Amino acid sequence: MKKFRSMTYPYIIWIAVMIVIPMILIVFYAFTVEGNSVASIKFSFANFIRFFTDVIFLEVLLKSLYIAVVTTVVCVLLGYPIAYVIARLPSRQNMILILLITMPTWINMLVRTYAWMGLLQDGGVFSSILSVFGLGDVQILHTDFAVILGMVYNFIPFMILQIHTSLAKMDSSLLDAANDLGADGAKSFLKVTLPLSVPGIVSGITLVFLPAVSSFFIPKLLGGGQYVLVGNIIENQFLTAGDWNFGSAISLIMAVVIMISMFLTKKVDVKASSNGED
Amino acid sequence: MEKKKSIPSKIILVLTLLFFYLPIAYIILFSFNDSRSLTKFSGFSLQWYEKMFSDSTMMSAVLYTIIIAVIATAVSTIVGIITAIGLSKSRRIVRNMVEQINNLPVLNPDIVTGIGLLMLFSAFAINKGFMTMLLAHIMFCIPYVMLSVTPKLRSLDPNITDAAMDLGATPFQALYKVIVPQIKPGIVSGALIAFTMSFDDFIISYFVTGNGVQNISILVYTMSKRVNPSINALSTLVIVIITVALGIVNLVPIIREKKKRK
Amino acid sequence: MNVTIKHKVRIGAIIIAATLLIASLSACGGSSSDAVEKYGSDTLKLYIWGEYLGQNVISDFEKQYGVKVIIEYFDSNEMMYTKLLAGDSYDILVPSDYMIERLINKDMLQELDHSLITGLENIAEGVQNLVFDPDNTFSVPYLWGSVGLVYNTKTVDPAEIAEQGYSILKNTDYKGRIYFYDSERDAFMVALKALGYSMNTDNEDEINEAYEWLIEMNDTMSPIYVTDEVIDGMMSGIKDIGIVYSGDATVILDENEDMDFITPSEGTNIWCDSMVIPANAKNPLLAHEFISFMLTYDAAYDNSETVGYASNNQQVLDEMSSDEGMYADNTAYLPRNGYEKDEVFRDNIVLQKKLSELWIKVKAR
Repeated sequence: MKKFRSMTYPYIIWIAVMIVIPMILIVFYAFTVEGNSVASIKFSFANFIRFFTDVIFLEVLLKSLYIAVVTTVVCVLLGYPIAYVIARLPSRQNMILILLITMPTWINMLVRTYAWMGLLQDGGVFSSILSVFGLGDVQILHTDFAVILGMVYNFIPFMILQIHTSLAKMDSSLLDAANDLGADGAKSFLKVTLPLSVPGIVSGITLVFLPAVSSFFIPKLLGGGQYVLVGNIIENQFLTAGDWNFGSAISLIMAVVIMISMFLTKKVDVKASSNGED
Repeated sequence: MEKKKSIPSKIILVLTLLFFYLPIAYIILFSFNDSRSLTKFSGFSLQWYEKMFSDSTMMSAVLYTIIIAVIATAVSTIVGIITAIGLSKSRRIVRNMVEQINNLPVLNPDIVTGIGLLMLFSAFAINKGFMTMLLAHIMFCIPYVMLSVTPKLRSLDPNITDAAMDLGATPFQALYKVIVPQIKPGIVSGALIAFTMSFDDFIISYFVTGNGVQNISILVYTMSKRVNPSINALSTLVIVIITVALGIVNLVPIIREKKKRK
Repeated sequence: MNVTIKHKVRIGAIIIAATLLIASLSACGGSSSDAVEKYGSDTLKLYIWGEYLGQNVISDFEKQYGVKVIIEYFDSNEMMYTKLLAGDSYDILVPSDYMIERLINKDMLQELDHSLITGLENIAEGVQNLVFDPDNTFSVPYLWGSVGLVYNTKTVDPAEIAEQGYSILKNTDYKGRIYFYDSERDAFMVALKALGYSMNTDNEDEINEAYEWLIEMNDTMSPIYVTDEVIDGMMSGIKDIGIVYSGDATVILDENEDMDFITPSEGTNIWCDSMVIPANAKNPLLAHEFISFMLTYDAAYDNSETVGYASNNQQVLDEMSSDEGMYADNTAYLPRNGYEKDEVFRDNIVLQKKLSELWIKVKAR
């Protein structure tokens, strides 16, 4: 055991430098005011107070959480069947499909989103298809639907990959055992396959929800500038307003909110996977 | 167990691939557009490809992007696997702490990670350029690898590893021959995700690079001020490169097998 | 099995790397030791807006002087500024007016040696004596322009828009058919001008009035807030009116004959991007040559023609807008000159912060 444990030491040193120190700097900024110079250090809660006393910021945070949650849920609901179907395939086709699904993510996100803009535009491809059904006037771009579509498109490969990982190489003897004991297809899915794939689902949720909360680019392009999300505000504070302190404070608040959500999700995971092991 | 390909499965697969590749087809189509528009196709032309190939900044950006992505993926996959395995045998406190810290680059907006690293490199007066970009990429890729590998590790049967060591295997052999093969799907998906994160990164790369080193994302974002279909041409080129590389990589074992049979 | 995958990846990587190495080497520029003797180094580091260079200007400059230009791009003044704060060193920057003012105030620029620059007499009239640097002590104009409205002549009456100016953006006849620029500076500029105030005002009441103007516009007009997508959108005629920068308007008008451009009578923002040399530049001598080069007729023509913005060179400006010129019929090319209600942005970080916050509140309603 000791031997294995020592394998973690290099990485711990690495993250202490590369992740922890920058984070400490951010925390430092969050709790201070007066610009970026080290000379005038004055600890204060001013940034946090400002965030919580102005309703607009809370609204923005909630909207970001809402979009992230919807995106995550859609990714799980759509991603699971896709991952399941792929996992059932013989291994070469399996591999090819996984690669096919991942490849679009290697095309720059901005380019892919612009493509969606072109497709969803008034007068674009989808509009033309809809007009066949007499729905030509319906606006698709600059709506919530377009935003969720774009977000799901961007994140679902990660969800599929994670669920697929936990479904692949699943011990088929467990399913055979379930069959022998009289369970039909649906039952063995619900009682054996699903619980065993929960770690994959939770990991997929982590990979989708976490970055989704701070996403703002896709909503901005597909929903229009009126989609002001927490990510916009943070970037705006750091770049345009030059207020690194407020920006850092908002990031911290967002980070705490996300960590709490993940903590709660993990509790569900522990329960679900321990059920599966019974 | 039979692995049937039923009709619903086929439909799901077809729809999925359609969804994923519709925008890609659009990009490829518009890279041949005669006009500058990104929404109205007006005729076939290779002008954007000419522009792209003659632009040495674009070409070197493609080179940098690929090199950094490949190296960052390789390094972060290896380090990620080793650390994840080590963590699975560590005390819970250590595990939780590392997990939480690992979540930071994933949940933080890129601007925060980028500026944090900017401050770090400035504080230690490190010259920014290729190395800093590479280090940054490794930093944010490793958590993704670990996130993919850890669930697989948890579903492992710990007895097998113990059994292997009882039978005389060294810890290293146990790792290599017993654990790693079992978590292979996690490794593969972790590497794929890491590659994606590196390939597509903009803001973090923007703030930690210097000396003219730029990747594709930086070019794309800074060139979107006015509609630039060269970007579509560039993306199509990337698609072609990846497809060819994957094609080669997948065909080589098939060819080898055929040769063996002869 | 692990070995084979890693093996495959390695082969793939080597193939790709080799191919691209060959490709990029073939597109490399040359350098010479003469340049090193004359200027101390044969490299120029340029930090400039994306897509802001003429097709051949860089390669021509490299050939003429035997040097290599390393170009980095930014897409906003603030991004550039943030990178500069971290201590990155460049030889030439091309920021906008207000940012130059800020850099001057923070002693981040070095004074230009006019004896090393040729062509200063060719600077276009419209950008001489700019308020933030009237004697070109620190900066030399590069490209300039104005902000105005692009509109579809088929659906918007030219007389009406000429009469209403920016107020047409609150005209509910056009509800749901306008693009509004997603930037707090430009948004407040429009509102303040529409109300008859200075766009650089820091008078609380005036700013609040502008804030209310914007809120009303937001609530009654269902605008789409965009930045660069406005160019493609107006080119395809998706909306009828949009706030656009003059150079982008030039491109739009070029591609779509139905579109026209107008700088409202209420006045607008005349802006200028100029070349400056940072205080920590490593190769200031070569930087001066670069500035001279960009003032020459050929380079200025190439820049203006490729990018569409008004040239810094008066000759080029005249030629482009003349009857045989490339932009003869293009109303967007030549910015209005000397109109008293037109203003240049001043740097005021406190104001900018405030407007930033107000703008978020307008959009997020």
